[in-house]
Amino acid sequence: MSGATPSTARRAVRAVGLVLLLALLLAVPALLDSAYWLDLAVMVLVWAALASAWNISAGYAGGLSLGHAAFFGVGAYTAVLLFNELGVSPWLGMLVGAVLAGLLGALLGVITFRLKGPFFVLATLAFGFVVHILAVNWRGLTRGAAGLTLPFDGGPQNMLFADLSTYWYVGLGLVALVLGVSLWIERSRLGYYLVALREDEDAARSLGVRVVGCKVIAAAISAALTAVAGTFYATFIQYIDPASTTQFELSVQIALVAIVGGMGTALGPLLGAVIVIPLGEVLRASLGGGPALAVYGLLLVVIVLTAPNGLIAGLRRVGRRVGVATGVVR
Amino acid sequence: MLGIEHVTVDFDGLRAVDDVSFEVAEGQVVGLIGPNGAGKTTLFNVVSGLVIPTRGRVRLAGEDVARLGPAERSRRGLGRTFQVVKPFGGLSVLDNVVVGALTRGQRVGEARETAAGILTRLGLERFATTTARSLPLALRKRLEVARALSTGARLLLLDEIMGGLNPTEVNETLDLLESLRAEGLTFLVIEHNMHAIMRVAEHVVVINQGVRIAEGTPEEVTQHPEVVAAYLGEPHESA
Amino acid sequence: MPLDLTLQILTSGLLLGGLYALLAVGLTLIFGVLRVVNFAHAEFMMLGMFGAYWLWALWGIDPYLSIFIVVPGVFLLGVLTDRLVIQRSIGAPEVTVVFATLGVSIFLQNAALTAWSADIRSVTTPYGSAVVELGSVRISVPMLVSFVVALAFATGLWLFLNRTMFGKAIQAVAQNRDAAALMGIDVGRVYLVTYSVAVAAAGAMGVLIAPLFSVYPRVGLSYIVTVFVIVVLGGLGSVVGAVIAALLVGVIESVVGFLLGTAWAELAYFLVFLAVLVVRPQGLLGRRGAEVYQ
Repeated sequence: MSGATPSTARRAVRAVGLVLLLALLLAVPALLDSAYWLDLAVMVLVWAALASAWNISAGYAGGLSLGHAAFFGVGAYTAVLLFNELGVSPWLGMLVGAVLAGLLGALLGVITFRLKGPFFVLATLAFGFVVHILAVNWRGLTRGAAGLTLPFDGGPQNMLFADLSTYWYVGLGLVALVLGVSLWIERSRLGYYLVALREDEDAARSLGVRVVGCKVIAAAISAALTAVAGTFYATFIQYIDPASTTQFELSVQIALVAIVGGMGTALGPLLGAVIVIPLGEVLRASLGGGPALAVYGLLLVVIVLTAPNGLIAGLRRVGRRVGVATGVVR
Repeated sequence: MLGIEHVTVDFDGLRAVDDVSFEVAEGQVVGLIGPNGAGKTTLFNVVSGLVIPTRGRVRLAGEDVARLGPAERSRRGLGRTFQVVKPFGGLSVLDNVVVGALTRGQRVGEARETAAGILTRLGLERFATTTARSLPLALRKRLEVARALSTGARLLLLDEIMGGLNPTEVNETLDLLESLRAEGLTFLVIEHNMHAIMRVAEHVVVINQGVRIAEGTPEEVTQHPEVVAAYLGEPHESA
Repeated sequence: MPLDLTLQILTSGLLLGGLYALLAVGLTLIFGVLRVVNFAHAEFMMLGMFGAYWLWALWGIDPYLSIFIVVPGVFLLGVLTDRLVIQRSIGAPEVTVVFATLGVSIFLQNAALTAWSADIRSVTTPYGSAVVELGSVRISVPMLVSFVVALAFATGLWLFLNRTMFGKAIQAVAQNRDAAALMGIDVGRVYLVTYSVAVAAAGAMGVLIAPLFSVYPRVGLSYIVTVFVIVVLGGLGSVVGAVIAALLVGVIESVVGFLLGTAWAELAYFLVFLAVLVVRPQGLLGRRGAEVYQ
């Protein structure tokens, strides 16, 4: 949100880089011709969106949530139930899920805005468990651990696509949405207020920043976007159960992806997803689920101890050095 | 402008402020002095809304603000600095000041201009892009003032903004206060530097162990026997 | 409800609460002294369970004997964790403090999964299902033993904190780290001892419940959340509060579980937990403001 205006050379480099990146992203389905890799690529998008959405309340506003799986679950279950029970298109279900999750996020924000440090973390964790227990035990609605399937009879109007590449493009749209919101927040009044509150709440209040309003709005936006990712995930996998949508481990992994990438920045969580998700998949495929998760645990410890600002901070330093070396940046 | 009426604050059975009352009239510079631990900063916290008094009330421009939080009081024209400085450490110096300008309703672009103007006025423009955390203490104190001004406050509570400054810096700060005062701002100032207080304040309130023990012109209070007793043994640079 | 049944449910609840206390006391002590929420706490219990299991499965050593091997082992693991992770996260940003121990938890859980698979194992002892009858109330012997050990540990800890110089040093650090350091207290050593003793207690609980409950890598998760509820209820940092809250939660869980089923009992105490956090975050016996980092 600060910094001098970039020089023309720097701008040109940025523009060229952006165009190349966009072309590359659009060409991904053509480049990855195996369903396995494209499938993984779509999951990277899901996680990029989730980590990015988490970052809005955790990174900018400083509320380290360990309950975000709850909102993911709300997005997934709302859309699937509306489609299966009432025939409502998941596109619409996605909006309903987002509004529901946004309201829940706001409610959680209202009751937790005063809590600091571990107390906030534990409150979000408890909230996540409440939703998970409901998903497992409210069998009349969710069919419990048996889960729910989305019958494939829709077509595009029902967010169900015949080929993987369409999911990739829709997923790109989802990430673009979350990234857009993040960038907008960074540059907006709300962004300034959130970061000020994160850095020093008393000072921010004494400058006229209204704590409750800001935190509740951030929590609601973050929750709503997480739910949107939940709906997309549900239509992509076409099967949901509590283990894959509301479990505590999911909340942890959302945070992990954002932290490894770099919280408090718009691009950090995306970088985190690009690195962590394929890494996890490769490890799982070669060594199995246990070792893969053990590596996640180690990675988390090492990153928070040695680089709490995430990999994006290191990447920026390297980028600056390259820029200086090539004369693009002085 | 500011009325403090019978304010009492208890912390865990300890009385930090005991039935203190005084007024600050518009355009005045009032000094608030007293030994360490007298309750000066607690009184500031009561006025700015960070501490809720056990008894008593605070009036801002005639309005009882008991039910208003710090943010609402700020939006009614009250600004403050913190003795233990509270910069937004990870933000640039400019962005620190932008936050306050935004709360007066300016758009981000305008707010950045306002903030830049304030930095220039306080001689901080060279540090605009510096991370606030990495400023030396004297400059962080000045950043506190810059932020308090950014909201367009009409009444400023300054908590030891001259502590740790060298004589030249103290003089610069005093000049700044005088020019702000000429613009019609009102000040309540906590200061240990008696020389500085004598120069800017026309009215001084002395508190000791939470109790207001004297009030009057700087000359009057320094003659006051209780004030002399309270400060006995504490060497001060009296004028 | 008939009187016999009521007494039975209350007794089971109290015994369960005693188990929780052994975990909760350590967790709350770590928070009070180090200002760290030890998400990995129940993983040390899990390791204690596996230690007891393997010593029994491989060499037939009874858990009540192997506890003298396993607990020192877990203590050393605590020393290692403290040196490698915990001490490095002190004074770091909040995200480090919260997520470092969470990372340790994920690592230990999955290292165990990798080493020993997800199989559910159990230790069978001659006394595993032994009961003593007190009037009409039946009390499981291993439960009673764990209960006694838990209360003895909590009492010993309380005496240690209040009657010894080192215990007082620990309390001084909990009150004010910087002032304690200025007074010549070796803060790093206080942290090391506090952390290692607390996780060793978790390990001891693991050994004690091995004859009672199934042993598997993710077993910690079902305890840790309950124990969080307990330490917040008792006031994070308060040892006495943790014991009282542990007994209380044990009884509540037992009663509500009987009346409504375990799932709804769990739901109920999460809601109570949220309510306590919102209304009285310092817990029943905690100091106000304990949630603010120094």
